Amino acid sequence: MKYAMFVGCTIPARLPAYETSTRAVLARLGVELVDLPFACCGNTVRGLDQDAYVFASARNLALADRAGLDVLTPCKCCFGNLRHALRFLSQDAGLRARIGRALESEGLALPEKVQVHHLLSVLFHEVGVQAIAAAVTAPRTGLKVAAHYGCHALRPSKVTQFDNPLAPTLFETLVRATGATAVDWPRRLDCCGDPLHDANPPLAGRLTQAKLDDARQNGADVLATACPYCQLRFADAQAGRTDPLPTILFPQLLGLAMGLHPGRLGLPG
Amino acid sequence: MNGNRTRLFDVAVIGAGMAGMATSLFAARRDLSCVQVGNGGGILFASGLLDLLGVHPVADRRRWDCPFEALSSLRRDLPDHPLARVGDDALRAAFEAFVSELGAVGLPYAPLDGANHPVLTSIGTVKTTYAVPRSMMAGVEMMRSRPSCLLVDFRGLREFSARQVVAKIGADWPGLHSVRVEFPGFEAVSELYAAHLARAIESAATRDSVAERVRPLLGDATAVGFPAVLGLSRSGEVHERLQQSLGLPVFEIPTMPTSVPGLRLKDAMEAALAAWRVVRHVQAKVTKVSFDDDVATLSLDDVPGGQTIRARSVVLATGRFTGGGLSAGRGHVSERVLDLPVHQPGTRGEWHRRDFLDPAGHPVNRAGLATDGDFRPLSADGRPAWHRLFATGSILAHQDWMREKCGSGLAIGTAWTAVEAISRGLQAPRKAG
Amino acid sequence: MSASSFRIAVYIALGLCALGLLWRLSAWLRVRIGPDARAIPFHRRLASALHGAFSFAFSRRLPGVLKAFLLDVLLQRRLFAEAKVRWLGHLLILLGFTALLLMHALAALLTQKLFKGYQPTLDPYLFLRNVFGAMAVAGIVLVIAGRRRAQRVAPTAHRLGDRVFVALLSIVMVSGFLLEAQKIASPAAFQRMVDEYFGEDISPEDLSALKAAWAVDYGVAFEDAAADPDPALLETGRELHKDACASCHSLPTSAFVSYPVSRVMGPAVRPLDDVDAAKWLWYLHVFACLLGLAVLPFTRLFHAISDPVSLLVNGAASSRPLSDAGRASRRALAIDACVRCGLCDTRCSVAPIARFMNNASLLPSHKLLSTFRFAREGRGRLRDGARYDRIAEGAFLCSSCGRCTERCPVGLGLDDLWTAQRDDLAAAGHPAAAKWVQSRTASEWADLLPAPPGEGPAVAPLSSDRRTFSPCVQCQTCTNVCPVVAHTAGAGDGVDLTPQKVMNLLRLGMVDLALGSRMVWDCATCYQCQEHCPEGIRVTDVMLELRQSAYRRLATVRDRRRPE
Ligand SMILES: Cc1cc2nc3c(=O)[nH]c(=O)nc-3n(C[C@H](O)[C@H](O)[C@H](O)COP(=O)(O)OP(=O)(O)OC[C@H]3O[C@@H](n4cnc5c(N)ncnc54)[C@H](O)[C@@H]3O)c2cc1C
Ligand code: SF4
Ligand code: SF4
Ligand code: SF4
Ligand code: SF4
Repeated sequence: MKYAMFVGCTIPARLPAYETSTRAVLARLGVELVDLPFACCGNTVRGLDQDAYVFASARNLALADRAGLDVLTPCKCCFGNLRHALRFLSQDAGLRARIGRALESEGLALPEKVQVHHLLSVLFHEVGVQAIAAAVTAPRTGLKVAAHYGCHALRPSKVTQFDNPLAPTLFETLVRATGATAVDWPRRLDCCGDPLHDANPPLAGRLTQAKLDDARQNGADVLATACPYCQLRFADAQAGRTDPLPTILFPQLLGLAMGLHPGRLGLPG
Repeated sequence: MNGNRTRLFDVAVIGAGMAGMATSLFAARRDLSCVQVGNGGGILFASGLLDLLGVHPVADRRRWDCPFEALSSLRRDLPDHPLARVGDDALRAAFEAFVSELGAVGLPYAPLDGANHPVLTSIGTVKTTYAVPRSMMAGVEMMRSRPSCLLVDFRGLREFSARQVVAKIGADWPGLHSVRVEFPGFEAVSELYAAHLARAIESAATRDSVAERVRPLLGDATAVGFPAVLGLSRSGEVHERLQQSLGLPVFEIPTMPTSVPGLRLKDAMEAALAAWRVVRHVQAKVTKVSFDDDVATLSLDDVPGGQTIRARSVVLATGRFTGGGLSAGRGHVSERVLDLPVHQPGTRGEWHRRDFLDPAGHPVNRAGLATDGDFRPLSADGRPAWHRLFATGSILAHQDWMREKCGSGLAIGTAWTAVEAISRGLQAPRKAG
Repeated sequence: MSASSFRIAVYIALGLCALGLLWRLSAWLRVRIGPDARAIPFHRRLASALHGAFSFAFSRRLPGVLKAFLLDVLLQRRLFAEAKVRWLGHLLILLGFTALLLMHALAALLTQKLFKGYQPTLDPYLFLRNVFGAMAVAGIVLVIAGRRRAQRVAPTAHRLGDRVFVALLSIVMVSGFLLEAQKIASPAAFQRMVDEYFGEDISPEDLSALKAAWAVDYGVAFEDAAADPDPALLETGRELHKDACASCHSLPTSAFVSYPVSRVMGPAVRPLDDVDAAKWLWYLHVFACLLGLAVLPFTRLFHAISDPVSLLVNGAASSRPLSDAGRASRRALAIDACVRCGLCDTRCSVAPIARFMNNASLLPSHKLLSTFRFAREGRGRLRDGARYDRIAEGAFLCSSCGRCTERCPVGLGLDDLWTAQRDDLAAAGHPAAAKWVQSRTASEWADLLPAPPGEGPAVAPLSSDRRTFSPCVQCQTCTNVCPVVAHTAGAGDGVDLTPQKVMNLLRLGMVDLALGSRMVWDCATCYQCQEHCPEGIRVTDVMLELRQSAYRRLATVRDRRRPE
């Protein structure tokens, strides 16, 4: 199991603990990560210029393709963008030709074989729940976890192929593998609100709050995420609250259950 | 979802309407590995009321208080009717299984008592149905006894006007009154959507606030009716808590499709299928099916480059014209996935009776696939098109579910019988011929 | 040039340099970047700067900052990590230039006093001068070559003064070597030295002997030099040389650059002598040096002052957050501390997008300059709307990855600058597109945003294809699942349409009415609608495509409409 690690822009800049914990957990589970000179997935231009976005994604994919590696990313937005780019390239011959020319001018070729995986899909499908459960030495028994799926991994399922989009079970299954209890909460598939953060802060705030309230109301001790945007959103929305609902990145939860030192997971202690 | 390309499933179900869902569910309950393709928009699940058989014969518009009495009459008059080929016991078992699965995923139905029930609709008419969600059951009792009762509606929710319902039925129900309140948190919004209210009211704070606003208006009411917005995935809980805080029976009135009860039913089906590990391809269509001796291969339009599914049996639950199972070309109705022969009136001129509103319905309303007793569609030579190809639900010929008020019964009953046959066939060694 | 006029020239150059320095230094307190900085008056920034400098001088962090200065500024450790060739070039220039400055330019002040018997024509000075000069020249070549390579991303932004230093340095170096070469081979220079040293006291025989020796050993290009001089004559000349000249003249082969050059010049030397070339080369050499001195504050060399200061400020900021005033000054300082190395550009996450969109304004080195220009030109003087549109695009397409800040060899706080720039642009009427759209209603935008020519299937494949939306049965499913509609709390706060209505507008051919709508721009791209649509309509993809169409059209109106 060897992947090109696509860490994206936001994780190193604002949530380095996510990268730390992902690397620590995957290393322990025998997944090898390779670093390539990746750049932005194109998220910043996605809603402004289609070609520029697809090019940005395609360039990264071309780099991985050249290295003969599939991509693993812990970021759900990068995941969605990269996968969408592959989809757009395969659907639109004109776009494909334009992007192909631009890649050529950089000495690259259109990606052909590369696949894009999210961290959770690799854990679930490649590492496997049994192997994970076997690696758990300090199960989080009794901890009630609300798993937040995140839009861009789950939907549109035709593109992301992550899990059943209407009634997914992948994340809860992984949570249970850590020994914790996965709570059922009605808003688990809802948007965290982050994409509206700049354009419409009050509306974004209501989306986030509705989710947090719902997780609390359904007895969650902690909210688990697997995307930097979601994680930051929940943390920021609760800044200043005296009784925030703690949020944890899934590899941190898993790492703790695997007995890794909190310091190696970017956690205090 | 990754390893499913090479996997061989026991059953592949094409369609995600009521029939497709019921078929997948029943198959999975029998420990058959099941994959389902198709998009079940909430509208396909209507009002969440599950009809068995309400009307027969259609031309007389005769309503029945007991669906099983209606069935025995149907079996005599229309022996080719798909429901006529499903036994009473099978129907009872199928409905029991269906609603108990729904209850298990948080959508409780009132206990089935073998009778049809009258339900007040959002336009003030009365609908006859078989299985009623628990959140509506108090309404059925009120319909029967008609005591003093309060109907609440929410300003801005265009789908439901309590005043209109009272205007329509008030003459026969003098104790019925209407009030209008603001939905908490939506005071500044002009246009409300039932689905949004249903999710909002799942928050305890919102629910309590609704109760606060209604409580002073209760008067001498003995029960309170709301439009069906009392929760989506937590409707049972919302309903119960609301009854507690108001101290009266509370009931919901189903609104027009796409209604919240329809969405609930759809979500509950999704959850039940996930719990039974049915593999789903939503937003996908089957474009082609090819058969060899023992395995069918389905091609999906899902991803460019194509994706295929392999299965040992196939169920066609693609519906009629709206569902996309049948299409009406020039003078000819055809089946869209496999181009199976469709039982239909001879010429286009004979599709409809002269009077478009003829209560007897039209011949084209009974077009569909002719099958054998196991619901295996027949090819032109009158034999099953493939030994493990089945069809369930409204794609079947010789029924007019809309007029007969038997949509869900048709879907659930034929699914049950077909799955029984599949299960038998997969266990038994294949018979020659 | 007489000694006094030379001195006057030096003083003038020094004076200009001092004035320039004052002007440049004061800019650190004058230039206002970011709306927050605009609220802070000069005197508060001066006070905070003085306070900071004073308290820092007595703090215990000085050694740390000095170390950073040594490693980061002088030894350029980050440059070393990123670009070895350029690092070597920089080091060579730094060492060669400084050594020449001290040993050669300031010989009268330093070398002569420190080393008894200093003579520019004597080894080791002659040799060392060539070494240092060669280092500087090689450094220039390496830096330029390395930069070429780095600039495959896009040319690093530069200001006029950036190139002046390298240009002047090149002139100084080339003229210096040529001057030395000319002097080595020049018969006129030989004659002048003979005149100065011997006066009339040398016999014609001795003179021709000496000439023979210098022609052979020093390569002076005498007109009448014999190709194969008489060995006795040569011997006499060498004796004479040993007595009279050798104490001041090392062998020219020590000038391992100038001497070969002089050999190459060969026969051209005498005609050059005729036009007094050595004098003109000297003028050029000195003039270039003095010019460099006078304009120093406006050249790249200014970073020799601004970088240490910037590092000091960083050092101060690392222990205690800067005051508002301090932060404002730090932003202004950044523009001067930047050495235009372009390392940020090579690592910028959106560099591929910059190349693709052909907009260098996305690149950090360019953004730094545009930030500064914007601040200097002020909000009221936006003459060139199109240009600022490009700049705004650059500012808002930044992914905030922080790589530029992390890579910058002089440790500039670029992330803070980018925030300030975005705020400045927004305040001046160039906000991010999503914000800009909010200034008008959808129907106003429909009037303002006519379809530009060429809009069609190639750029908007979904919305220009009926098959995308014609299956829509207006079932409202998309609206039911839309969280944005569900959480809209009232007019003005959120959406004006619903996804279902957007689809209906497309069906009715009224796409213009959707382009500027809040629904399209406030869509959270959660894909609920697309996932749930029973007709398989790509609702979210359409939303995104509509934004792209609107963005294209917005650019055309932005060009025409200037902020008041
Ligand atoms: C307006 C309305 C009112 C109703 N009212 C009632 C009521 O009062 N009581 C009641 O009991 N029931 C009611 N129903 C539900 C009714 O029972 C069912 O719609 C009916 O049984 C038909 O169900 P079906 O599954 O056979 O077909 P449909 O519901 O039409 O489903 C067909 C399915 O097949 C899928 N499909 C078609 N072609 C393909 C393909 N090539 N590949 C993959 N998938 C395909 C479609 O996407 C769809 O999911 C109502 C339905 C509607 C629409
Ligand atoms: S923060 Fe912005 S400017 Fe800096 S490297 Fe990242 S994308 Fe480029
Ligand atoms: S900002 Fe820093 S990295 Fe970028 S060009 Fe200037 S000095 Fe170099
Ligand atoms: S869900 Fe699909 S079909 Fe229904 S209104 Fe929305 S776009 Fe149209
Ligand atoms: S993608 Fe946009 S329009 Fe669709 S449901 Fe989400 S927020 Fe609403």
